[in-house]
Amino acid sequence: MSFVPGLGLAKGMALTLRRFFEPKVTIMYPEVRLDPAPKFRGRLQLLYDEWGTLKCETCFQCAQACPIECIDMGGIDTRGRYHVHWGAPETYGERREESALRRSGRAVPDPAYQPFAAVDLGKLDAILEDYDHDPDRMLQILEATQAAYGYLPVAALKRISQTTGAWYAMIYGTASYYAHLRFEPPAAEIQKAAVDAHRPPETAYLAALDGALSGSGRRRQRSRPVADA
Amino acid sequence: MPTLLRTPREWPRILLARAGAADPTDLDAATRDGAFDALRRVVRELGGTATIATIAESGLRGRGGAGFPAADKWRTAASTFAPRRYVVVNGYGADPSSLTDRTLMERDPFAVLEGAAIAAFAIGASEVLVAVRAEAADAIRTLEAANAAAQDAGFLGYDVLGSGHDIVVSVRPVQGAYMLGEETVLIKALEGKRGQPEQRPPHPAERGLYDLPTVVHNVQTLAAVPWIIRNGADAFKAIGTPNSPGTILVQVRTPSGEGIAEVPLGTPLRDVVALGGRIPSGRSLKAVLVGGPSGGLLPPEVLDTPYAFDTLRAAGAHIGSGSVVVADDRACTVDLGRLLTRFCASEACGKTIPCRIGTRRLVEIADRVAEGRPRPTDPELLEDLSADIVASGLCDHERLTTLPLASGMRYFRSELDEHILHSACPAGVCQPIAVAAGASR
Repeated sequence: MSFVPGLGLAKGMALTLRRFFEPKVTIMYPEVRLDPAPKFRGRLQLLYDEWGTLKCETCFQCAQACPIECIDMGGIDTRGRYHVHWGAPETYGERREESALRRSGRAVPDPAYQPFAAVDLGKLDAILEDYDHDPDRMLQILEATQAAYGYLPVAALKRISQTTGAWYAMIYGTASYYAHLRFEPPAAEIQKAAVDAHRPPETAYLAALDGALSGSGRRRQRSRPVADA
Repeated sequence: MPTLLRTPREWPRILLARAGAADPTDLDAATRDGAFDALRRVVRELGGTATIATIAESGLRGRGGAGFPAADKWRTAASTFAPRRYVVVNGYGADPSSLTDRTLMERDPFAVLEGAAIAAFAIGASEVLVAVRAEAADAIRTLEAANAAAQDAGFLGYDVLGSGHDIVVSVRPVQGAYMLGEETVLIKALEGKRGQPEQRPPHPAERGLYDLPTVVHNVQTLAAVPWIIRNGADAFKAIGTPNSPGTILVQVRTPSGEGIAEVPLGTPLRDVVALGGRIPSGRSLKAVLVGGPSGGLLPPEVLDTPYAFDTLRAAGAHIGSGSVVVADDRACTVDLGRLLTRFCASEACGKTIPCRIGTRRLVEIADRVAEGRPRPTDPELLEDLSADIVASGLCDHERLTTLPLASGMRYFRSELDEHILHSACPAGVCQPIAVAAGASR
């Protein structure tokens, strides 16, 4: 501990200056490896591809791995579906207080979810009771929830997360993976148009296989990009 | 329900031996035909270790596509210390063009259940989960009826045959992704998680469902187990080839017809193809797609290849879903390879980069070749990229996704070169831009 005022600052600036005038060297990775600081997390930035779309495809692996659920997520997955996932409330300053309340075990109204909360959770509670609040039977719970509501409301997912103890990111990650689970109510006319535009890959595959094998490929339309196939 | 094809009389019938039954869920008729005799023998006489030894001696290999020896899985699971063990029956049948597994479950549910019960008894598992595609409503209904009948008769359920062992079978409908055919993905789905494969080892036989030892088998593997116990390992080894004994179900599809047949492993591919009927006159066989969406395209010259695990892999295809599709000379192999790769790429789960991005690049390359704007380096690029995907892949899905284009390049290189060098499609399927431009000139 030094008592000269400003000595620490001067030391720091001296290091900065020295580094500034040092020659820049490219480290020949992987032959030579730097020793990164233990808390170094790489470049914390989402990257864009050459068409200007985000390379993140909301696979939820990072959100599921994050120990404090601080990762928020919004984006388009490989099937062209848009997903949003909100992290835990304690990551937002204005919601920190209720977060403390929630950890105390009391049910807390969550303003961020109120627009989504307009569903009757009674049916869901009965389902959860049937499945014993068991997170290992998540897929069945989600399927039963969709059968009851027609889709998976965000409020229902939050409730499942609360009562089963499974992380919201885990539940959302599971639900967004399976093609038969959906997050919006099926609108009849929209659904028909969407079905025409995005045939399920299996139907498209069988139809295309028929076409390729029977020689009707000549009349087939030009190929579509992978995401639409 | 798909039709069963007539096979030569001298071909043995193991899996479809009871397929002709009027009511497949009639337990009395099935027991008269020998159902649950093997389970009784295993429980009363053999015991776990001798059962595993018999299966090991028979050389039974997993019918799910990879051909992993069944007894190795059982031995690993039985010798891993754990409070509980599981048997998972993979009846998902991911390939939409092959209904072999579903047909087996519909025609002879007792063989599947008995095989699963023997596996459970041998490794000391008390729970069997039968994963069936939710769309296969008939198969689910048949299995559940058969399960209830077998439980009432004391063959399954609590205290099996008075031995004190519990073997509780539950049928679990799963759906929603092509990848669920892969064993670690199926385990994830049964756990209620996002279906993405896991790094192996540890294999599921050591740490599978709920991190407990789990034996995952295709329905055809398990349906062969009771036959082996009843007739002995030597009788089973006499069928098929020394490396791949036994029979397997194939779904053959030719321009003149399709159906499901039981084929001894090692049968020349020519005979398997012939089951589906003749090529219409005026047409000639151009390629055989062996193994489903991620299968290989084989030319007529290699039709003498035996239909077995190792020989098909050496030829550039694999058994896969058991689908054998015959394409006549109206098909273009580049177009077919592109279509298959596109299906596999769009079904990728997205966990690893070689699969998520690499397979999509494969599709892009094939697309630009078929559309008449290829680059001269595209064949090398395809080869390099395929090799990289195979070398760095996590599960078999991405490794096998490279097969259609890789085998297409291996056997139909002149057709690919025609596309690249002259922007022409010999079969007239693709519509390269240059051809359209040339027509107007």
